Amino acid sequence: MGVIVALTLKEAMRRRAFLGTLIILVALYGLTFLPRAFKEAFGGDERQFEIGVNLAVLFGVDIIKFFSAVLAILLCSGAITAEIERGYLAAILPRPLHRWELYLGKWLGVMLFSAANATLWTAMLWISVAIQGEPRVEMWQALPYVLLYPVLYGTLALALSSFLGASIASMFTVAAGAFAYFSDHFLRPIAAFFNVKLLQQLVWLSEWVLPMATLKRLVQARVDTILPPGMGDAPPFAAEEVLRFLKPEVQTLDVAYVGVYIGVALLLGVTIFWRRDVQ
Amino acid sequence: MWAIETRNLRKVFRPLLGGKPIVAVDNLNLQVPAGTVFGFLGPNGAGKTTTIQILIGNVYPTAGEAFVLEHRAGALAAKRKLGFLPEKFQFHDFLSAEEFLRMHGRLAKMDGAKLQKRIDEVLELVGLTERRKSKIREFSKGMQQRIGLAQAIIHDPDLVILDEPTSALDPLGRRRVREVVQYLKERGKTVFLNSHLLSEVERSCDEVAIINKGRVVKQGTLDELLVNRSVVSIELKKVEPRVLEAMARVAHKVQPIDERRVTAEVANEDTVPDLARAIVEAGGALMGLQAHRETLEDLFIQIVEGEGK
Repeated sequence: MGVIVALTLKEAMRRRAFLGTLIILVALYGLTFLPRAFKEAFGGDERQFEIGVNLAVLFGVDIIKFFSAVLAILLCSGAITAEIERGYLAAILPRPLHRWELYLGKWLGVMLFSAANATLWTAMLWISVAIQGEPRVEMWQALPYVLLYPVLYGTLALALSSFLGASIASMFTVAAGAFAYFSDHFLRPIAAFFNVKLLQQLVWLSEWVLPMATLKRLVQARVDTILPPGMGDAPPFAAEEVLRFLKPEVQTLDVAYVGVYIGVALLLGVTIFWRRDVQ
Repeated sequence: MWAIETRNLRKVFRPLLGGKPIVAVDNLNLQVPAGTVFGFLGPNGAGKTTTIQILIGNVYPTAGEAFVLEHRAGALAAKRKLGFLPEKFQFHDFLSAEEFLRMHGRLAKMDGAKLQKRIDEVLELVGLTERRKSKIREFSKGMQQRIGLAQAIIHDPDLVILDEPTSALDPLGRRRVREVVQYLKERGKTVFLNSHLLSEVERSCDEVAIINKGRVVKQGTLDELLVNRSVVSIELKKVEPRVLEAMARVAHKVQPIDERRVTAEVANEDTVPDLARAIVEAGGALMGLQAHRETLEDLFIQIVEGEGK
């Protein structure tokens, strides 16, 4: 399996993904200097500068979440069926290795690549704010949960790629992510404030289908302490159950559900790949 | 001992969205003796590729059994002793020839000095020693085919399945493949060769099986199949029934091609003058006659066309 992991890593580097990660790295680095640039250009006190840095960090964490997930989708969606169709696996499949070894080798390779990138980006973000005198340890505390983003999306894309071509697998994964995002950011407030039961059930269902909102809360729980005053506070006028639905508390079993979800998606993908004809 | 054995092997592909099931392999019974160079022939769509995919474990049979070196096809024990050169492949072209072979050696559970020695050997064998550090993307199609052949034999397998190994090669490349096949044969390996180049098969193989519509229609050694028959191509001024009748008395089989041309199959070359005499005596105006020993291609066409009727 180690050979497949190494091969997947080399393939990832070759696909210009590495170049993309470098560009993101530089963008993240530049982002954190914006508050200083604004301070120097328009003036302002230290408190405003600190809020600016915090916002840049929060935005930076969101960028890391987004791009690490996109990278994992790109690398995973073409890993099985597309490689079979292109003939990359024609000489590898007859080798004495189980299909699950090949599948897990690819999964592990992409996850290592994504994790390395997300860690590198976080390190860059941390260094750039630290050298400005504002180190933010919160982003390191959030990193384990940020890393779950590429794992979640990559695992889903790989499972879909076990029977779908690259473009369709990535399209379905992105569609699932878009639905989860739309549900959490748009449907949830409407469902909460207008107390629409059907919408509330839909939001609840979407979180089961793709626990992106769960992951978001897990990350937020680690970085909320640096939120600027007023941001992320509950509206003062809503009823308690509306607020609970609007901003559910992080549960102990949230991580467990994400873990089970990833495990099931992985198992499903392995089973499909194991049982299918390859030609 | 059979290197490959299939018993009533059957594969039916059922389209996902309904439609008529496709029977790719239909009760295929095949025995490939160990240590032989075996030709696997058949027209397009005969079920050759599906059979090979079952043998290497990529496709699951619908019914029947397939064994590779006495292990069930697809089992790791079978795969350890099996080398495969696919017909359609795309190698990881960012690797150099040496890196590529090292990767395949490791996948075949080889390591260390033994693997390095074997890499040197197979690169020499396929004539790519000088290009060992070159990236595969810099290789011509023929060189890629040769590096493909090298990966198939890197782990010194007992059975090598070659799916159209000469399709992209020039005559020199084909000769190189023949040499590799001969090298494997001399070492007691079994080579299972799927090729449309019947002349290549005739030159390399000890035994062949011809399949059509998913079944074996003929199997045997070349000596058994290509009995001492001669095929005679005859040109007449006009093909007439009485001439055909006279020819049929001498030949095993008479086949009119068009208004002027006929082919006839005779027992041996000694019968050819008798055939010419019969035509002339029946009043046929003989314009030309050419005899040649039956080739694998003749046999192949005869069998496949016969099956089609």
